[in-house]
Amino acid sequence: MLISNTNTDLDPISYRVTFKPNCALTANQKKKVVLLLTVIPCFIAIGFAVIGLWLILPFMGLEIAALGFAFYYVNNHESDYESISIAGDSLVVERGGKQGVSQHELNPYWVKVVRRELPNGELRLSLLSHGKQIEVGRYLTRKQREALADQLQKRTGAFKQH
Amino acid sequence: MSTTTTSHHDAHGHDDHGHPTGLMRWVKSTNHKDIGTMYLWFSFTMFLFAGALAMLIRLELFQPGLQFVRPEVFNQLTTLHGLIMIFGAIMPAFVGFANWQVPLMIGAPDMAFPRLNNMSFWLLIPAAILLLASFFVPGGAAAGGWTMYPPLSVQGGMSIDMSIFALHILGVSSIVGSINIITTIFNMRAPGMTLMKMPMFVWTWLITAYLLIAAMPVLAGALTMLITDRHFGTHFFNAAGGGDPVLFQHVFWFFGHPEVYIMILPAFGILSTIIPTFARKPLFGYASMVYATAAIAVLSFVVWAHHMFTTGMPVAGQLFFMYSTMLISVPTGVKVFNWLATMWKGSMTFETPMLFAVAVVFLFTIGGFSGLVCAILPVDIQLQDTYYVVAHFHYVLFSGAAMSIMGGVYYWIPKWTGHMYDETLGKWHFWLTTIAFNVTFFPMHFTGLAGMPRRIPDYSQQFAEFNMISSLGAFALGLSQLLFLYVVIKCIRGGAKATNQVWEGAHGLEWTVPSPAPFHTFETPPLVK
Repeated sequence: MLISNTNTDLDPISYRVTFKPNCALTANQKKKVVLLLTVIPCFIAIGFAVIGLWLILPFMGLEIAALGFAFYYVNNHESDYESISIAGDSLVVERGGKQGVSQHELNPYWVKVVRRELPNGELRLSLLSHGKQIEVGRYLTRKQREALADQLQKRTGAFKQH
Repeated sequence: MSTTTTSHHDAHGHDDHGHPTGLMRWVKSTNHKDIGTMYLWFSFTMFLFAGALAMLIRLELFQPGLQFVRPEVFNQLTTLHGLIMIFGAIMPAFVGFANWQVPLMIGAPDMAFPRLNNMSFWLLIPAAILLLASFFVPGGAAAGGWTMYPPLSVQGGMSIDMSIFALHILGVSSIVGSINIITTIFNMRAPGMTLMKMPMFVWTWLITAYLLIAAMPVLAGALTMLITDRHFGTHFFNAAGGGDPVLFQHVFWFFGHPEVYIMILPAFGILSTIIPTFARKPLFGYASMVYATAAIAVLSFVVWAHHMFTTGMPVAGQLFFMYSTMLISVPTGVKVFNWLATMWKGSMTFETPMLFAVAVVFLFTIGGFSGLVCAILPVDIQLQDTYYVVAHFHYVLFSGAAMSIMGGVYYWIPKWTGHMYDETLGKWHFWLTTIAFNVTFFPMHFTGLAGMPRRIPDYSQQFAEFNMISSLGAFALGLSQLLFLYVVIKCIRGGAKATNQVWEGAHGLEWTVPSPAPFHTFETPPLVK
């Protein structure tokens, strides 16, 4: 999913796009969903514990913890992002999230934009330079990848304007 | 030239996953389609095994008197038939559908936790082995009924421990699967697919997964208390030590009644998918269907004691559970009305999936009505533990759940295999199943009303004719499922090429991908308008 694009027009000075993975719920919505899902099970387990059937409580607790962890894990990847920025002689592909940030720096004059069609109709996009191939646009739809490829094509290799 | 376009043949990126082959493809698979396929084959195998147990039951009941099995073996057959059909056949089949269809329907590339998905499936195997192996331990398999009521389950042999352990494992599998499904549906919907745009099958599975989350720990707790009663000197349910056996029934049915809806809500989802396709009309009253499903789920937690009216409870309690049980017919009636309204003035055709769907609406409604009869307290006191109850729950679980599964298989198998199934044989399978099912179970209403108790290997001469008819129907029903197996295998091996859309009136994201669905789908989410 494309979340920001500072300059979609041809501009040799600055170009930066940022993408994030598709996630149907925001962090706040996730919290609300988990709370909503746990109310009735907690009520059931506590009710049984009150009448003496306390062994249901630890099973319910384990399960709610597992559900909460599942949403927490998904939420951890919600902050993942990929950005491509071009400034002068530097093209930087940056990937980040809660796990850390990694950067690949390429020279835009030497970069090839490689489009690869898969048999299932998918389009994969990568930047190739000096034997190094970096896939980009992993969070985008096919149409968005095509648009990104067009934009990068105008800013890299022989097409790059001086 | 600063840009190149390459085909898949001459470019192999680091992320270009090869299509795995061989045995390890299945053992280590994290692909939702492969795991869905394994679930479906597992459940069909268990269905045939538990069906074979049913054949033995009907063989013994063909005539009055004891002919083939001893009474204790008969009780083992009924117990394991119930346990395996519920936990080994119906539930895993719906999980198989969920694995195949939920990601395809919401535009997700896979389940949220693919490795956990693999684990959920492979947990089924040791559980199934434990259940099947329990026939061969001293004393034979569990014989106290699938409900495992004390005192029999407290006093029984090693097979009870094996069954309890098997149910614990199946419970873990179900809970992990449910968390996976809930996380997938909430977080991985394609952009634009709001909750109220989700297909009904996805909605019903979301609510089913929630029911599993809420109900499974109750079963786990009850089983653990049972095992501590058996081996660690506690007396939760052991009357000899001051415990209360009826308390187990309350706890068990607190799980058991939602479990009934766990087995029927996904079937409602399948019907709500098939009927609009072959009526060539959108589903009537989509929002009311969603709310009715949620209402059924909530009500399922406040009706449990209708399974135990005869155990004795205060009149206020009896009235509460009678009325709350009757109340469930309101959202269920909304659903039946909506299916009929969807068909009303539709441009209908009757391919095999639609035949199954129409039959399910009709036969499930019969099961619903006999359920209403059982809900009436004074009537239930007469019918409790008679064959009327056996007829009722088979109309709900076979013609409701199992026949929906069959209809769902016919509906989606072209998408799964890339081939059309043999329509003629499919229709033969439908008619044989439907007729044989009714021949088997409709007379049980009469044997039950006449007073024949369930779970007995011998019976009074007055029930002989109806039992003979039921047994003949059961043998035909069992044999006709081999035809189903043949149709499925034939479809996998070949047949007319299926188009992407498969059915003219089909709508939804799963029909936008090729048939068979590629190993990887929706790696980039589609945009839903």
